[in-house]
Amino acid sequence: MTGRKLLMTFPVTATSHLLADYRARGGYATLEKVLRQMRPEEVTKEVTTSGILGHGGAGFPAGRKWGVIKLNDGQPHYLCANADEGEPGTFKDRWILENAPHLLLESMLITAYALQVRNAFVYIRGEFDLPYRRLAAAVEEAYAAGWFGERILGTIFSCDIVIYRGAGSYVCGEASALITSIEGKKGYPRNRPPRLTVRGLYQQPTVINNVETLANVTGIVAHGAEAFRKVGTAKSPGTQLVSISGHVQRPGVYEVEYGYPLAKFIYEDCGGVLGGGKLKCIVPGGISTKVLTAAEIEPLTYDHASLAGAGSGVGSGGMVVIAEGTCMVRLLQILLRFYHHESCGQCTPCREGMGWMHRIIDRIVAGEGRPEDIEQLIRISKANDGTTICGMGDAAGYATVGIIAKYRDEFEYFIEHKRSRLDGRLEVAIP
Amino acid sequence: MIAFFINGQPVQAEDNQTVMQAAKANGFFIPYFCWHPQLSVPGNCRICMVEVETEAEGGGWLDIACNMPVTKGMRVLTDSDKVRARRKETLQFITLNHPVDCGICDKAGECTLQDYHYEYNGAPSISRDAKVHATKHFPLSERIVLDNERCILCSRCVRFTREISKSHALGVQSRGDHSLIRPVEDGAFEADPYSDNVVDICPVGALLSRQFLHKARVWYLKPTPSVCPGCERGCNVNIWHRKSEWKLKALDAKQNARIDRVTPLENPAVNGPWICNKGRDLARILERARAEQAMQKGRPVELQAAIDSARALIGTARQPVALVSSWGSNEELAAFHAALGQRFACYVKPDWLPVPGERLEDDLLIRPDKNPNRAAAGALFPALPADVQSAFPPDTDLVLVWGEGFSFAQLPPTARIIYLNSYLQPENGHADVFLPISAQTERAGHYTNFQGVVSGFEACFAKKPGVADAQALFAAIAAPAGGSKP
Repeated sequence: MTGRKLLMTFPVTATSHLLADYRARGGYATLEKVLRQMRPEEVTKEVTTSGILGHGGAGFPAGRKWGVIKLNDGQPHYLCANADEGEPGTFKDRWILENAPHLLLESMLITAYALQVRNAFVYIRGEFDLPYRRLAAAVEEAYAAGWFGERILGTIFSCDIVIYRGAGSYVCGEASALITSIEGKKGYPRNRPPRLTVRGLYQQPTVINNVETLANVTGIVAHGAEAFRKVGTAKSPGTQLVSISGHVQRPGVYEVEYGYPLAKFIYEDCGGVLGGGKLKCIVPGGISTKVLTAAEIEPLTYDHASLAGAGSGVGSGGMVVIAEGTCMVRLLQILLRFYHHESCGQCTPCREGMGWMHRIIDRIVAGEGRPEDIEQLIRISKANDGTTICGMGDAAGYATVGIIAKYRDEFEYFIEHKRSRLDGRLEVAIP
Repeated sequence: MIAFFINGQPVQAEDNQTVMQAAKANGFFIPYFCWHPQLSVPGNCRICMVEVETEAEGGGWLDIACNMPVTKGMRVLTDSDKVRARRKETLQFITLNHPVDCGICDKAGECTLQDYHYEYNGAPSISRDAKVHATKHFPLSERIVLDNERCILCSRCVRFTREISKSHALGVQSRGDHSLIRPVEDGAFEADPYSDNVVDICPVGALLSRQFLHKARVWYLKPTPSVCPGCERGCNVNIWHRKSEWKLKALDAKQNARIDRVTPLENPAVNGPWICNKGRDLARILERARAEQAMQKGRPVELQAAIDSARALIGTARQPVALVSSWGSNEELAAFHAALGQRFACYVKPDWLPVPGERLEDDLLIRPDKNPNRAAAGALFPALPADVQSAFPPDTDLVLVWGEGFSFAQLPPTARIIYLNSYLQPENGHADVFLPISAQTERAGHYTNFQGVVSGFEACFAKKPGVADAQALFAAIAAPAGGSKP
């Protein structure tokens, strides 16, 4: 077991995602309580007190984000659930969308009530098929049961929801690109300031939260912020859905309580490396976080402070396990190919830098690397750090610098001998 | 007003100004590609990074000046070591896939990228990899070709069509370093009457005017301030022509006295930094075949002889009528008014009428009256009535027609005609006296636009020997016999 659970509290069955099952689990009771007994600012206060951090990757406190929205300012506010889960190695929101869509919807209704939102949006990744069908069906059910629409439960609160399917762009998972996409434009991120909570979707104050962050709202409001704070660590309260994949014995989505020992999670709960191999390193939270070697993860616990102390981060909770024998040069090639493909092309450093790094790593893998190429990759990464409109340029830089810093000898070997020291393997044979 | 510091100097900014705007207003220069004072802020070129000093360890933080609101007391550095290093890196990125083919690029000499490279980088590219290739000559419209390899994707052209010309004709296709500027629909950009402005605002040589394509290096050219006579807006323009010290001896002499291109001359009171495509095509109006020979009933005569004849006709006429040009400058109109205004019954005629298919009017610049100086002419003389015949009393014996656009068939058959025109036209030979006058590019003067704004134009080329200046001509033909010469 990976600590206490907040979201994965029910057995997944063929009907567990349906409204009837959700009602049987106590679903929509919290919404009813909120609408009948709580004022919007009390809900926000509860979420702020809970100290829940954003689960999308940046780890920004959700309550601080909500607090920017001014109630009764005469402007329409918008709420958007970010279900554009595109970070490689991450598939945790998919679990919520597939198995607990009503939890998300109830949480969104509570959030909408707290922030005086009339129209809420779910921006769902275009490649998500089953999650989309489950969510769309849940929305139909919820509308039919009167949980959405005009005057919900006879109160003055009304809320409508729109599911918007993305078209397969990684950058559209970035909040400002996401709303630009909803507006029907090319998915380009926007410059800050203004923050999206000041001027977001259709130039109105907008709160965009990750699906998992929102899904926690119902539990926080139902059981109180104090109960939530008891789970996890002081600085990282709550749990994190971790999607673990790669060379691991039991891949899948696990709910991990913050503060849980990282090595124990990988070796015991997930069964260790595939085929009983040795662990080389892990990517702790989506490929945009820096890799951690097997030695480095030993003393760590799974929470923001501990991982940040090791120079990495919780990120989006997409953990990738990499076994001994994997060629890190090939691994970086795959990462850079991805970043090159997904760079939106709006701002200069990322547009040019991603392609440049991809060409360099392709050349190294083709056996035409030059000794100065390693420095070149680091230089491009650093030139992307903090200079781009969104965080994608930074993320690619972190990943590159992280891998090169820890496995520089493999790159040097590849350039010198024109072949991988590890036969260029990415797969691990199961004995 | 907000007080803050740029490079240690106290400056004032207006509320809601960005650091870029405040720096510009206070005379500090911050480089920029994508920012444009008339367009929205996309913040995508990242060259305008400035440092904001903080007390914190590690010095100030960098961000783009074009999107940075001025806050009270902030200390901005536009040229610190950090900023210079960052600019170098950014220029490395911008030139990474740029072909650097300045030698054959029309923009060379006035290219922002070229200037910044020499100013802020100067180093060759550190990349040894092949550049990304893209379309070299993509026809965006009949008028504009696009070189996608030179394009730095600043999106100025896209924003221009969305925010200024409102044709929404351009967009960005694909993503990453394969992004391409493309017309949104076929023909949409073709129909944009302001499309050529994107050539001016392109910071590199990606958008090229077909008219000017490989016509001249800009450093051989000189801009002369002028006014577009295309409509009553009177947009201020620069007429570019060859510098006198760079005459081409080997080529046709006409090459040395031709309009190479027309660009807007920024005047916030009239046209801002834009002009329409008709203004770009001024050569089509001003460089039509010129009339250089004075004539009497189609027979070539000396200019002085023609002037004498005109003067004699005016001296003896009993019922003379004059049709005044709405293309005359304020000075010429005043001279006409002083010399002949009392002698003639004067009417202002429209020299140009809208061409079929031409855009008549819009919210940006284009005005329905296609004559530049009807406002000044109309202040001095009445307009020609709609029923043209009513302007001519039955005993009209002399008509002076100044400027083109009037069919002699409308004149009383018995009247003698004095005709003043700059261009070769069939009417010239039918006039009793034809006097060739200088075109706009050969003289200086002023036009008053429909808003009452007076804009001046200067002479680009020397006047031909056989051609008269209208301003002096009026006094000469009005003077009693033996009077002053033009």
